[in-house]
Amino acid sequence: MRNKLLVFSATSIFLLLSLGVSTFAHHGFVSWFDTSRSVSVKGTVTTFDWTNPHAYIYLDVKNEKGAVEKWSIELGALAMLARAGWRRDTLKSGDEITAIGNPAKDGKPTLHLSKIVFANGQELSSAL
Amino acid sequence: MRNRLILSAAGVVAMLAFSPAPRGQDAAHPGSVPDISGVWLVEKFAPLLFPKGGAPLQPWAQMKLKATNPQTDDPNLACLPEGVPRFMISVPYPMEIFQWPSQVLIIHEGTSVLRQIHMGRQHLKDLDPTYAGDSVGKWEGDTLVVDTIGFNDKTWLDGGAIPHTEALHVVERIRRTDHDTLVDEFTIDDPMAYTKPITALQIYKLKPDWEIHEYVCEENNKYTYQKK
Repeated sequence: MRNKLLVFSATSIFLLLSLGVSTFAHHGFVSWFDTSRSVSVKGTVTTFDWTNPHAYIYLDVKNEKGAVEKWSIELGALAMLARAGWRRDTLKSGDEITAIGNPAKDGKPTLHLSKIVFANGQELSSAL
Repeated sequence: MRNRLILSAAGVVAMLAFSPAPRGQDAAHPGSVPDISGVWLVEKFAPLLFPKGGAPLQPWAQMKLKATNPQTDDPNLACLPEGVPRFMISVPYPMEIFQWPSQVLIIHEGTSVLRQIHMGRQHLKDLDPTYAGDSVGKWEGDTLVVDTIGFNDKTWLDGGAIPHTEALHVVERIRRTDHDTLVDEFTIDDPMAYTKPITALQIYKLKPDWEIHEYVCEENNKYTYQKK
């Protein structure tokens, strides 16, 4: 069911050993997230936690039956996010966004973020 | 413990900042050594030393590797330091190098660990095992050669759980190949754990406009370490 919410990218652009410094994951990145796949979810921000070691976006995502699924979007450390243009008030509750990133290996509704797309089409990457 | 390290690092750096001696010296001047000070970031985030497997491990180390679950057993999940050499090789956060005739200091943003490279002395005897070990350095031409022993066995070499013992011995050859590039060549040996030395290389890029920021890993760490 959850998979129907996911829009898989045409190509998997993440290669294990040539990540560049494109994503500032820290804890268990390789172990927890499938770096060979990129997926996107669209929803409403409920909370934006501006904290170390990771910032988090909590997202309400409606599935095809109208039920709300609670997604947790993991970002990197605050200093690296700030260097990429993020601020503690970049998101607020109620914002409509699309989050794109690596899905959790265990199938839980969790992403490691690559970038977000705001409702107006503007994008913000979690990388520099 | 971490806070004490941070305070210690801040104190040492403040001391250096108010001292008349230069951090580094211009290589163009006779008798000087290259300046490697500044904020540096790994060019490529390489979480695994052996992405296809094949690490030259002794049988016990191979068994330990197979029995390790990186999702739950990585000490870093508990915000413990990655240690040397891991934080030099496979952590995607910047480090600042402070250079001094008697010491080269490295503060790593991702771990808030102070690494001291002592110039002009030998390894101390009866070292207490630590995460960063005891590093001594010397200049060989334009290359800073760093020899490190005195490790504890609580860290991994990389994000893939490659183990080591307290016999770990790391030799680094650090060279600024151009204004924006620093290269660190690693020779990592541990006869107790490896069948032959492991070599690795990391390239760092200068970030002249960056400063090292605060990083408190314990603030909102949601990962679970060893199911505790």
